[in-house]
Amino acid sequence: MAAFCDVIVIGGGHNGLVCAAYLARAGRRVLVLERRERIGGAAVTEEVFPGFRFSMFSYVVSLLRPEIVRDLELARHGLHILPLESTLTPLPNGDYLAQWNDHDQNHRELARHSLRDAEAYDEFGRLMHEMARAVKPFLGMPAPDPASLAPADLIGVAKLLRYFRSLGREKYHALWKLLTMSSADYLDEWFETEALKATKSASGIIGTMLGPRSPGTAYVLLHHYMGEIDGVFRAWGFAKGGNGSVSAAIAGAARAAGVAIRTGAPVARIEVANGRARKVVLESGEEIATKLIVSGADPRRTFLGLVGRDHLPREFVEEIERYRFRGASGKVNLALSEPPHFTCLPGVGPHLRGAISISPSVEYLERAYDEAKYGEFSRRPYLDIVIPSMIDPEMAPPGKHVMSIFAQYAPYRVNGGWTDARREAFGDAVIDTLCEYAPNLKSAILHRQVITPADIERIVGLSEGNIFQGELTLQQMFFLRPVPQWARYRTPLHGLYQCGSGTHPGGGVMGASGRLAALAILKDRAA
Amino acid sequence: MSRPIVVIGSDVDALVAAHYFARAGSRVVVLEQHEHDAGLAPGWTPPGIVHELGLGSDASGAFEIEQPDPWISVVLPDGGRLDLARDPARAADAIRRLSARDAARWPDFCDRMARLARVLAKLYTAPPPDLLSRDWRELARIAGLALDVRRLGRRRMEAFLRLAAMSVADLLDDWFESDALKGVLAAAGVIHLCQGPRSGGTAFRLLHHHVGNAPGVLRPLRSNVHTLLTKRPGIEVRRDSKVSRIGVRDGHIASVGLAGGEQIATDCVLSGADPRKTLLQWLDPGWLDPEFTRAARHVRARGVVARVELALERAPGFTTIAIAPSLDHLERAYDEAKYGRVSTEPYVEARAFTSESQHRVSAHVQYAPHTLANAHWGDSERIRLGDAVVGALNRAVPGFAALVAGRRILAPPDLEARYGYPEGQAYHAELTLDQALWMRPLPGWAAYRTPIAGLYLCGPGTHPGGGIAGAAGANAARIVLSDLRGKERE
Repeated sequence: MAAFCDVIVIGGGHNGLVCAAYLARAGRRVLVLERRERIGGAAVTEEVFPGFRFSMFSYVVSLLRPEIVRDLELARHGLHILPLESTLTPLPNGDYLAQWNDHDQNHRELARHSLRDAEAYDEFGRLMHEMARAVKPFLGMPAPDPASLAPADLIGVAKLLRYFRSLGREKYHALWKLLTMSSADYLDEWFETEALKATKSASGIIGTMLGPRSPGTAYVLLHHYMGEIDGVFRAWGFAKGGNGSVSAAIAGAARAAGVAIRTGAPVARIEVANGRARKVVLESGEEIATKLIVSGADPRRTFLGLVGRDHLPREFVEEIERYRFRGASGKVNLALSEPPHFTCLPGVGPHLRGAISISPSVEYLERAYDEAKYGEFSRRPYLDIVIPSMIDPEMAPPGKHVMSIFAQYAPYRVNGGWTDARREAFGDAVIDTLCEYAPNLKSAILHRQVITPADIERIVGLSEGNIFQGELTLQQMFFLRPVPQWARYRTPLHGLYQCGSGTHPGGGVMGASGRLAALAILKDRAA
Repeated sequence: MSRPIVVIGSDVDALVAAHYFARAGSRVVVLEQHEHDAGLAPGWTPPGIVHELGLGSDASGAFEIEQPDPWISVVLPDGGRLDLARDPARAADAIRRLSARDAARWPDFCDRMARLARVLAKLYTAPPPDLLSRDWRELARIAGLALDVRRLGRRRMEAFLRLAAMSVADLLDDWFESDALKGVLAAAGVIHLCQGPRSGGTAFRLLHHHVGNAPGVLRPLRSNVHTLLTKRPGIEVRRDSKVSRIGVRDGHIASVGLAGGEQIATDCVLSGADPRKTLLQWLDPGWLDPEFTRAARHVRARGVVARVELALERAPGFTTIAIAPSLDHLERAYDEAKYGRVSTEPYVEARAFTSESQHRVSAHVQYAPHTLANAHWGDSERIRLGDAVVGALNRAVPGFAALVAGRRILAPPDLEARYGYPEGQAYHAELTLDQALWMRPLPGWAAYRTPIAGLYLCGPGTHPGGGIAGAAGANAARIVLSDLRGKERE
């Protein structure tokens, strides 16, 4: 059977769906092909155990671009974000550190640990908000390449330079520091409370094979301050119904605009003739001819897998091979008969409606990283925990709960490879770690699901299980993402574009890559 | 008689600046509290400085750059050695025994690194570009630098920008497969740094330490520039002069006070001492804005290097030998330092000298943190470190331990006391991207000036940083002289 359409989008993840929706709204006939039986990629809600629904992989929403929410009218299509109100860091000595959205409550809590830190916190927050506002425009525009002489790049670089100069010295220097420092060093300049520094710096290492003392981890601190300033969302939130409902809302908008979505349609390869991508061949053998193909798969899968290196310039292939993934994290999803009771803050309280972070000190995180450097999963990992059923009761049967545990470090290249036994050992390490702070947990577990980077790769198709489709480090960001010269969603092949997180700005359930790819395509095709 | 320019310290940068002042007709007093080692000093000295000061053209002797060949020997785990010759083709022959693929890539790698290092060399012989400047001359200079970078060609320029933020481990993994080769090269990325090779921002340090050296020689070069500068007449050097405070009147430099109580009246002070000591210890904090003081306090200078000096009964059979067998070896050595412990198996780079029929070895030992967790640097810590180093060298060069006739261990606190290195950090401020270029020594104060009129900084703590000898001094001297000329015109 041969079909025909204007554009085929490979992969029904959030970026693919956003891209498809924008293209369809511009009048293109778009077909989305998703390998799995459900859309969403890593933003899915699945009933893993009967009655218990999980945001199986990604589990919070923070950076979804407001212009996308607006343009695609996602609220009308069912998107509802519930705020995450706090972060609790239990400490080994039986105390805890809580960070609250409420300013006064937060100040009182911090002052309990350090008066100096409580004072510095406001000043820190002010600077970070300003910096976040300074950086935000980059997330909504393609990254200009300073090495290029193309007019668009020259103008882009000139605009950027003028913009930086307009920031003034204080912000310019702060931005440079954020781009180049380690999150731990950066926070050392501000705070003295270990748990505060560790919990904040943990956001800089999420998904990346770097420790909090490694330069290049400070920048991600900014992401925590980006959501808040829109007035649309809080810094972090849950999507009601799990992260699958984010995908469902985008898919709803896409369908309303005329996009056709086929699930269970794995693409085997992209057929190339004379330097032009011409059709998509499914694993079933079905061929679909099209004018344009947009891949939401990561760069390695797209170019080395679907296209094949024979059809690409040698230097381009070498650069794609150099592009680093190194998945560093896994997940444990638990079905619970009762909520966890933390020794430091007994009972069911507002702290269970927020995030719980096992990050008592920077050294704790750094030691967790040390093991991963040499190919072992962390015996005492960093954990970021949420209990969605506390906020959205529909996620679990009445009285029962679902717990989502993000756990790092779990290196993709674990010594001896990921076997069933090693996966369970990793799961045990996660549970044992958490039980030190919430001893009732073990007996409350009804079911558990352990997901390693190898599982993420197998199930979702993200290479090496990297949750960002490639490490979000400075050398793989902006005009270098995924590789220099091909960071503007185009590829060396005519008729093939990329729209996944492996392109600028990448990472998180943000949708910016999908939108920018669609805009690039429309611009090229208008000419 | 007019008041002299006071230069604090007599390392290469301070002496270069002092001679520039003398050449411009100023009276110069150099105050030195610390010792200096005789012999060759590490660091590239830009040829412009050698030329302008006429070094080597007078009676004090010729300007000599050491050209060891092989420039380094790497001890292999099987007991063999990898000798990296200066000539990339010969080095490639040696590498071929480890990996044919690496040998094939070596010449390209040498060429790429040399080209990129030349860009740095250009950046280093002038004050760091100030991208926020409103001065058209500065903007024109930046445009010129940008053109130079562009001249690399698009691919190499992108490689340069990509490299800037990378870890040296990632860079080397992109090129090579041999552990021994990657280990010895990665060491250049972490010398004098409290980071491991897998930390971001270490790749550019490999280039930094390559600047000025021959293609394929990835270590700072050594020259006799310090000896020549010391012998050169025209400045007054006062030894054993410990500065205790810098006097300020109406926001302007007034005097330098010595520990003995003597006051030297002056309008202009150039300090080659570390920025924290100059700005926080010697100045009355009342003269500084609290924000500036805060930034000065935050200059990171964590010493991680110890030096072990050994007297030998005869020559040890190597000139420079590196014990850095793999990236993991360096990384594990760093892991211990992170938690305040001396590396059990440190990275050691030992150089052998022969002078007046005496044989010596000086070993750079990393990581030995200045501040130990649960311990302090006492005799037993020093002995343990010395034993570890002699043991490692004995494993690398069988029979070495039997040659050792005497030893001296300089732990970071010893280096601090002897040479004035803050926390034992030889670069005065760790050379990381956030403390480089326009961020060095302090954000916004990278052009050698300070908020105090007449007080200037040079030395390794300023741009371009440790491992480059004399550039900071010359850059600072030009700024000082142009400020002085401006004042005369007023």
